Amino acid sequence: MATTNLLVLHTLRCGGYASVSRLAATTGQTESEVESDLIDLGVEGLVTRVDGSWGLTEAGRAADTERVAAELESAGARSMVNRALKRFLALNPELLDLSAAWQLRPVEGASVLNDHSDAEYDARVLTLFENLDRRVAPILAELSEALPRFSRYRIRLAEALQRAGEGELAYVADGTASYHAVWAELHEDLLVTLGMPRWTR
Amino acid sequence: MPGTGRWLRPLTAELAAPAEVVGAKALGLAMLMRLGLPVPPAWVVTSEACRSYLAAGRWPDGLRAELAAAVRDLEAPTVSVRSGASVSMPGMMDTVLDVARGGVAPAVETVFASWKAPRAWTYRELHGISHDLGTAVVVQAMIHGDRDEHSGSGVVFSRNPNTGEPVAYGDVLFTRPGTDVVSGTAPTLPIESLADREPGVWAELTGALALVEREYRDTCYLEFTYCSGELWLLQARRGRYRGAAGIRVAVDLADEGVLDRSGALCRVSATDLDAARVARMDAAGSRVVARGVGASAGVAAGRIATTSESAVSMRGPVVLIRPETSPHDVRGLAASVGVVTATGGPASHAAVVARAMGRPAVVGVAGLAVSDAGIELPSGERLAAGTVVTIDGGSGEVALGEAPILTGPAGDHLGRLLGWADEVSGRSGGTDVQRLAAAHAVLRPGD
Repeated sequence: MATTNLLVLHTLRCGGYASVSRLAATTGQTESEVESDLIDLGVEGLVTRVDGSWGLTEAGRAADTERVAAELESAGARSMVNRALKRFLALNPELLDLSAAWQLRPVEGASVLNDHSDAEYDARVLTLFENLDRRVAPILAELSEALPRFSRYRIRLAEALQRAGEGELAYVADGTASYHAVWAELHEDLLVTLGMPRWTR
Repeated sequence: MPGTGRWLRPLTAELAAPAEVVGAKALGLAMLMRLGLPVPPAWVVTSEACRSYLAAGRWPDGLRAELAAAVRDLEAPTVSVRSGASVSMPGMMDTVLDVARGGVAPAVETVFASWKAPRAWTYRELHGISHDLGTAVVVQAMIHGDRDEHSGSGVVFSRNPNTGEPVAYGDVLFTRPGTDVVSGTAPTLPIESLADREPGVWAELTGALALVEREYRDTCYLEFTYCSGELWLLQARRGRYRGAAGIRVAVDLADEGVLDRSGALCRVSATDLDAARVARMDAAGSRVVARGVGASAGVAAGRIATTSESAVSMRGPVVLIRPETSPHDVRGLAASVGVVTATGGPASHAAVVARAMGRPAVVGVAGLAVSDAGIELPSGERLAAGTVVTIDGGSGEVALGEAPILTGPAGDHLGRLLGWADEVSGRSGGTDVQRLAAAHAVLRPGD
């Protein structure tokens, strides 16, 4: 049981509070599968429900840390994930630059909120997102080979880019299914998987 | 001093090469020297040398020898090695400081190579900058801001960049190198503190600001270090303020006789009029307790919450204050009226999410400590969770309590500017944007 519902537990660990439908979309499971996992996790005292959203309890955080560490050791993947984090961190500033460029557009030397009236500019930024996406893909491929749950990021990032390309602009940097949000979850996941604190102060 | 070589130029007041060859930084330093201002001795490795290096993948013939001669000529124990391209690429390129003689060539190579970094490539694609330009490199005698108690570093604008008010605005660190100011790793003091601590340096610095303003016929920005009481300038840039600050500066410069009224009108655009309408905190009527980088414009007031859980559960408007944010904080951010982080820049996770949600954000408040109980300000003052603060995501200021809010430029600057616009166009009435556009149509026909 611990292995089947690890995906839901760990998704809450990396993404924060989420609804059943978002958990289903994130994990690639059906809503009833997610609900069943949540019930099991709730019985163990690992998850809690607040205002219709599910989140981790302190015990849930501790359990996730333990299970993810065990998964990493049994896959013998620590040094690979370490390298993956390093490669990811080299790309991370570009993702942040691009997300900011999507939101703020240079006009007459000033940075103004991008109202998405300049299709040529938006297309240029999206092309650069696609370029970045091609460079993060091999990192995710290597991660997924040892830890299959990482394959969800490949799927979710690709879907966000595709929808943005089809004109659903919110899939770039708005909301929890956006490229920026999925990328931030991946960042969190790499740190959590390695048991590294996000900040040291 | 050795003469001009194939790949290097001495930095002198007479330096007269295009920015494409010596870079904007070197030209700014040469301008300072022409004004008689103190600039540490330096040589410029041209961007032609960089282009040759990038194309061939190895050092151009003769560069090593020229560089060694230049470094000997500087007679400094250590040097700084900084990029200086013809176009601004803030934060993209490497800088190597405090380099001993033997390390200068590798440091120059590091700066050359940073032109090819993927992040810099993406930046150029985004801003339509040619990948073939390359960067010049300034090799300069190192001045130590951490030498003794009469040493320090800082950055300063000639006028307040948020309001345009004609008072120096910036940050200083005593007994610290300049990198600590620019990187935001240490809590800085407001530039005015230099006046009490080093009145001689302060007088020289304010004199320099006035001179450079006159040269640019605009506001300016200077980076400086002082060592044992002696001031040195390391960088100069035009201010080019926008929004409310830009409107005020245009009108003030006309009043000061630096610009004529037509010149003032041409400095202001419709974008500035729009930007000036975004709410700002009236810093003059508030107690500003911390300053960071404004990352999402607008003003918000609320009680401090230092965890996303408390932001969600607290009643009434809350301002979320975190060391930095992660996906966990998205829910807390959504429940808040604004966000403050200790680390990060305008592209940090907190900044991107706050803009997506339309919340004001202040990021990178150096020296801010956050705990469950509350925050400790860079000054050492503690504010308990629940304390009311106001944040301005444009200026980056955080004030205690509910601060007064301004929209539009303070005072009558906009009204006077539009009056001048009507005199030029011979019309009146219509929206502000229409009145300005009518004047521009007369002053800049064909635009």
